[in-house]
Amino acid sequence: MAEDDVHVEQNNARQMGNQESRREFLKQALKVGGVVGIATVIGGPVGAVKALASTETKQNATDGSATNWEGWEDPQLNVNDGWNNWDKILNPDNLPIYHDHFDEIKKVKPKHHWVMVIDLRKCVGCQSCTVACKSENNIPIGYYRTWVDVAEIGSTLQTSLGNTVTANGTYEQQIKIRNIPKLCNHCDNPPCVTVCPVKATFKRADGPVLVDPRLCIGCGTCVNACPYDARYINPISHTADKCTLCVERIDEGLLPACVTTCVGRARIFGDLNDPTSEVSKLLASNPVQVRKPEMGTDPQVFYIGLNGEISTENDPEAENLIYTYTMNTNSTAYQQLAGKSLLK
Amino acid sequence: MGLEQVYWTLPIVAYPFISGLIAGSFIVGSLSKIFGQKQYEPLAKLSLLVTLAFILFAPVGPLADSRQPSRWWELYTRAHIPEAPMGLFTIIWTTYVIVVIAEIYLAFRAPLHQLSEVTPGWKGRLYHWLTLGSTGMSEMRLRREHKWLVILAGFGIFLAFAFHGYIGFIFGAIKARPLWHNALMMPMFITSAILSGIALMIIVYSIVFRYFSFHRKVDSALVDGLMKIMIWVLLVDLFLDVVDILNSAPVAYTDQATASGFAEIFLHGPLTGAYWIGQLGLLVVALTLALFRGIRTSPLWASVASFAALISIWFMRYNTVIGGQLQPKVSQGVVLYSPALFGRGSMQIVFGLFMFILFVFSLLLMVFPWDDEATKHRLFHSTQLTNHGEQNRSTNKILEH
Ligand code: SF4
Ligand code: SF4
Repeated sequence: MAEDDVHVEQNNARQMGNQESRREFLKQALKVGGVVGIATVIGGPVGAVKALASTETKQNATDGSATNWEGWEDPQLNVNDGWNNWDKILNPDNLPIYHDHFDEIKKVKPKHHWVMVIDLRKCVGCQSCTVACKSENNIPIGYYRTWVDVAEIGSTLQTSLGNTVTANGTYEQQIKIRNIPKLCNHCDNPPCVTVCPVKATFKRADGPVLVDPRLCIGCGTCVNACPYDARYINPISHTADKCTLCVERIDEGLLPACVTTCVGRARIFGDLNDPTSEVSKLLASNPVQVRKPEMGTDPQVFYIGLNGEISTENDPEAENLIYTYTMNTNSTAYQQLAGKSLLK
Repeated sequence: MGLEQVYWTLPIVAYPFISGLIAGSFIVGSLSKIFGQKQYEPLAKLSLLVTLAFILFAPVGPLADSRQPSRWWELYTRAHIPEAPMGLFTIIWTTYVIVVIAEIYLAFRAPLHQLSEVTPGWKGRLYHWLTLGSTGMSEMRLRREHKWLVILAGFGIFLAFAFHGYIGFIFGAIKARPLWHNALMMPMFITSAILSGIALMIIVYSIVFRYFSFHRKVDSALVDGLMKIMIWVLLVDLFLDVVDILNSAPVAYTDQATASGFAEIFLHGPLTGAYWIGQLGLLVVALTLALFRGIRTSPLWASVASFAALISIWFMRYNTVIGGQLQPKVSQGVVLYSPALFGRGSMQIVFGLFMFILFVFSLLLMVFPWDDEATKHRLFHSTQLTNHGEQNRSTNKILEH
């Protein structure tokens, strides 16, 4: 307590000895302070400056953190053929086209309600959409705004009537391959928007969930909060990035790039507010599913023929994911797939 | 979509760890003021300085981890209340910093003023400057200051809970991560915050009073008292851990995603050791040590037990932050992660962070009169001096040292 502290003590018996000890204490304190100070000067600023240098473009893939492109660790790629040339790969000119003029993106009234319907019966797994998106939006290597995962449904049964005959017996293969185009669902109830501490990401009135690259602090909360892994941190702009439904195209009356390029016409884009649009008709006449409905995010990308979320469990009854773009080379699944020997 | 990976790295592990120390040390420092436990009085001033040193660096973790930290001011200017948990941080943290600085001012103003009168040179001017030129020493004034000190401490305890509770909320609110989406996150984070704060104060008190105080003496009764409080908090923490395991491990009690995530990561996965040995094992070790009276009353051994508790809390943060992200959201298998040594999100950053804190704490220790005995002695000593003018010069030298 303040009052007590200041009482002047009358007892001065050990005064001289204490002077001595205080001097020593001060010396010691200075010494400790000095050592710590030097350690700080060496350790602290170097680390902090590195961390704070947000414009830094050269990254070493050491810890799998979000700005690192991990492709060059892929044993399939030869590190020496220029894949790891960061000056080429992380060229600021390669930013998605709207980054530099985000302010030109219109704030619209809810005149439209843009949705996408994906008819899995028609997807042939050609990955044209993946390529179209990357090229339209200048997506850095190792990142995708849309991608097509491949899953397998069914099993191989041993039966005497099977048409696959081997030395070990006859089998019937009741297997279907499901190609599942994935992208941001432009959820009506998007957790990624709720968690953003600076409200850099928002849902535009006509549907698309967007990130304002001028405001985003790159904290990664939304990336963690999206249940569909639809977001990433753009290694060039150092901000969160994701599918925009090609917002600058749809504002001009064009279709999103992936829809334009879809060879099987599996992707259909349109306005749900218009009852005569193709999407409205499809939704009215087909059972549709969304991904992870239990998350309560209310996705606005609808699937025809999706049998629940494709499982990653070791359950023979379940539909199994057999290939996914999302797999990190630095994961147990990849190690099992590639075999340890390849990961030298 | 990026490849499934750990987005929040080591600085985010350090962030709740440091926040926990803030909340805990503040509560320990308030024991004497709020809960009337007079025997903890020597801790009051010291723990305020510990709290300040840590709180100044609390936001560095998340800022170092974010990719555009230079835009931090957006955290203040954008409307993000009340939904964004991280946005709440800005408000609670700012309030907390103001409260802690106000507490420090109130607690140190009187001794600083008195010292400024007897200390010559720049040091005296520094003391005077730190009192903001306020010189009143009347009984009433001091009583009023003390009253405010108590009120602010009460408010600060509320903030300590809010501060740490909401960090639990940051993780608990993210439903995309099954291992985070857990109502227990908040109470677990609050309990472990208090635990780590007590453990830290035991260590800091033992070291600082043993080596840097006026009498160079550690009061073993005080350490014993803190250790006894720690036992109770340890028990609550262990209890919550057990409830958490029951909630997350058996498939029968939880959803498929949580159960398989827990199994793949903590039962037979990359963090099995970190969970069962690092987090739980060390907690049990600390508890066992704390049960012995001989250990509780020995500052050295009490510090060892506290250190075990601190390491366990660090593992708890690591298992929560990193562990939760090892479970892929849409991919297969388990993401593998080992912290980098240098660069973004590395051990170097965390080391630098703690060094900064230590540095600031040492500075605060040198400036503020946290040791009541030393202050008394200094004041008494200089009243003597004014009586013997001829000694003035030589003593001034000592004081200026
Ligand atoms: S899919 Fe993910 S990123 Fe897209 S709106 Fe939904 S939660 Fe947000
Ligand atoms: S990364 Fe950007 S958009 Fe995402 S939550 Fe953080 S500030 Fe918001």
